[in-house]
Amino acid sequence: MTTRRPIRLEALTIQFDERFQLNNINWQIEPDQHWVITGTNGAGKSALAAVLAGAGELVSGSLSGLPARVGVVSFEAQAELIEAERKKDDADILDVISEGTPVHEMLFKDCADPATARDLVARFKLEYLLDRAFRKLSTGESRKVMLIRALASKPDLLVLDEPFDGLDADTLAMLQQYLATLIETVPMVLVLNRFDEFPDFITDIAYVNQGELQLQVKRDDPRAYAELYQLLHLKTTQLAVPPADPETAIPALDPQQPLVRLKDVGIKYDDKALFSDLDWTINPNQHWQLSGPNGSGKTGLLSLITGDHPQCYVNDIFVFGFQRGSGESIWQIKQFIGYVSSALQWEYRVGTSLRNVIISGFYDSIGLYSKYSDRQRQIADQWLALLGMSHRADQPFNKLSYGDQRLLLIARAMVKHPPLLILDEPCLGLDDMNRQLVLALIEKICAGSETAVVYVNHHPEDRIEGIDNYLALNTPAPTQ
Amino acid sequence: MPNNYFNTLPLREQLEQLAKCRFMDISEFSDGVSALKGKKMVIIGCGAQGLNQGLNLRDSGLDVSYALRQAAITEKRQSWKNASENGFTVGTYEELVPTADIVLNLTPDKQHTSVVNAVMPLMKEGACLSYSHGFNIVEEGMKIREDLTVIMVAPKCPGSEVRAEYVRGFGVPTLIAVHEDNDPKGEGLALAKAYAVGTGGHKAGVLMSSFIAEVKSDLMGEQTILCGMLQTGSLLCFDKMIEEGIDAGYASKLIQFGWETVTEALKYGGVTNMLDRLSNPAKIKAFDLSEELKVIMRPLYNKHQDDIIDGTFSRTMMEDWANDDKNLLGWRAETAETAFEKTPAGDVEISEQEYFDHGILMVAMVKAGVELAFETMTAAGIVADSAYYESLHETPLIANTIARKKLYEMNATISDTAEYGCYLYNHACLPLLADFMKGIKSDVIGRGLPVDDNGVDNARLIEVNTALRSHPVEAIGAVLRGHMADMKKIV
Repeated sequence: MTTRRPIRLEALTIQFDERFQLNNINWQIEPDQHWVITGTNGAGKSALAAVLAGAGELVSGSLSGLPARVGVVSFEAQAELIEAERKKDDADILDVISEGTPVHEMLFKDCADPATARDLVARFKLEYLLDRAFRKLSTGESRKVMLIRALASKPDLLVLDEPFDGLDADTLAMLQQYLATLIETVPMVLVLNRFDEFPDFITDIAYVNQGELQLQVKRDDPRAYAELYQLLHLKTTQLAVPPADPETAIPALDPQQPLVRLKDVGIKYDDKALFSDLDWTINPNQHWQLSGPNGSGKTGLLSLITGDHPQCYVNDIFVFGFQRGSGESIWQIKQFIGYVSSALQWEYRVGTSLRNVIISGFYDSIGLYSKYSDRQRQIADQWLALLGMSHRADQPFNKLSYGDQRLLLIARAMVKHPPLLILDEPCLGLDDMNRQLVLALIEKICAGSETAVVYVNHHPEDRIEGIDNYLALNTPAPTQ
Repeated sequence: MPNNYFNTLPLREQLEQLAKCRFMDISEFSDGVSALKGKKMVIIGCGAQGLNQGLNLRDSGLDVSYALRQAAITEKRQSWKNASENGFTVGTYEELVPTADIVLNLTPDKQHTSVVNAVMPLMKEGACLSYSHGFNIVEEGMKIREDLTVIMVAPKCPGSEVRAEYVRGFGVPTLIAVHEDNDPKGEGLALAKAYAVGTGGHKAGVLMSSFIAEVKSDLMGEQTILCGMLQTGSLLCFDKMIEEGIDAGYASKLIQFGWETVTEALKYGGVTNMLDRLSNPAKIKAFDLSEELKVIMRPLYNKHQDDIIDGTFSRTMMEDWANDDKNLLGWRAETAETAFEKTPAGDVEISEQEYFDHGILMVAMVKAGVELAFETMTAAGIVADSAYYESLHETPLIANTIARKKLYEMNATISDTAEYGCYLYNHACLPLLADFMKGIKSDVIGRGLPVDDNGVDNARLIEVNTALRSHPVEAIGAVLRGHMADMKKIV
């Protein structure tokens, strides 16, 4: 084996066509690593793989260490080859019917490693079509030919984009085993969507989203691996947000009235105002982003709305049809609100099951103290399916990772389909992976739901589609 | 000094009152807070109970304000700050009490006489006066105006937990009672129930008791097993470990967090479960030690109960009140000077199981204390439900305070009455156990039994298990914990 060096992509931006570009890719493939690139459709997985085969136009950054011989299998490469075959036919000026290039010629002409090619023809059981024209093959057959060509090219790098697609179970198992025999010889980069197809020898996973390489996960980090699985699940699942429980429906609100109307409100401690003279009206279905520096009172302001701040009784606050302080109970207010914050997560350190945590959202309680209905249980199970946590329904909540807890609390907040969902820094304290997870869930919730969302966040990159109202609090004025 | 109310009653009524305690069904609270809706509730005192109960009641849609002494308002004392910063109306007794439909006296026991004397003349005809502890009525014999309704609503947890559990959508177990001599309109029970709903107590379970049963069982529990036993046990176990050459930091930590850990097992599954956490040889050892302890300490438990029943305890304590708390303050200072209190917990890892394995004597002390307190109370005519709550149920709550900041925190959290009784117990119990402690080695406190052989005699193990499981505190415990578990799906 020749000494190999890593492949390095540094701050790489590459243009494919007017519509697609990979941005600021930082990636290093060590000679002893085997990668899977994964992500949703259209995220840029195949484009990133194609970069390794020399595709795209460099806009900025650098790409180094690419070996000379790269074996590539992809739909694009396959399509190109078929297209080339078709053109050959069109270009034929002789008045004879051209069959195009036969498979044996495709495989053995200029083949670097004919022994391997012969071996693979036997393994794929392709002897019967060696004499057929390549362009007459079915998609699956031509895919196998492509694979043999790539594997028999004595490659220094193998780039296989969805190599298992369309293969029957036996062939798939054979190919996986065969690839496993190559791991000492050649680094591999596979584009795969299905986690259950990841071969055992994969050492690293790259997650691509919106043209960016957003996450790199080590295969032997079981937690990150599980989270990535969940992220992909959330991003790709066809499951919709489960319905509300018709039995415990929230009372209807007057659609002409705002959900929340704060007039001249403020919070004061020791004569010092956290904020003051603030007006804010939130109408049904209106999405808001609330921002402001630390200590500007964002959480305080929200807790005036939720009724968690005792000074809600000394302010002019109208919420969900109640003027605060007119004899309403806190539970009459809370039934209209879904609420998530890291403080809630801190409070919610209970050993109850994941399912019970979601059901507790019907009762606005931390922990579950009420007999729930079968229907509520079903709805909770649908949420767990949406989150990709069905198999963990009975596990204790406090044993979950921080990020999973956050996801679950968001589901708890939404389970009753409240008219107002308050997300107070929902990504706070989360790593990249879990931020992606939480944002994926929130987008899922915002899409098509009739809930007004108030979203508190500092990070512009965590923007949520569809939020078009902004309220900014200022740094508290120094006391005179 | 006024007459002890309990002592004025004929024996027949004393026994009847002592035996009052019934676990109420959740369906009895279906009226919610309606009996208090639109009524003016004025709270006297804005400490931990006063503030947190007020926050809960207001969040339940009730009209709450705070009456404070003029001085507390003028000097902007903590109680004034607590109330006004939380957006409550605050006023003087003169301003607010005459408007009140119900006055909630949530001041410390010691102030009850002066508070009630100040408030009562201001209260309007037919209003209600509520207590959270019956000492003033039962032990001091306070006579309340005949037109006033007198009730008690006593959440069985510190004020901070009363609030925290409410915010979670739950509540804390609560005891309610009506003072039958003062229920002119027969509305006492309805008001007490609505009040319990307002603080969230109905969700966690409500005991219907009497002023007398509450006072006599509460005093007994807090002086003996709850505070006294834990204080005496802490001091003895620490000194023994030092004597046995165990690292002081380790010893300090084992005790400070050990009570909390072993009584957590008590909370979930009673004395049986606490002992089941031990290996078989350790369980038999703990059982034998506790049997020995029970024989030695029984006369002390009897004495405490007798002094409580006949009023000796409250009389002597009130004498100390009159003497500017000389005893109380002296004993408090003395506790601060003990070796256990002055040795900080070491920076050592102790696993949850190790607290059991190395704390066999502590387990034995908790078992002996719980069973003795329960047996003594029931022998005095207090029903098993009350006796369970005032012994086993509250032990983990007190143990939590020791875990926070040792005996200082415990004594700061409990009432002065409890603290006074705790010291009385401690002073009597230390010498009582001196001989017993001479025979104690580090195998039962600090190091654990040697692990080379876990074998036990079958017959003996069966005997011990049977004895543990057939104690009456376990029978009532199983029933009451079952009620709790039904309502509180998670603990």
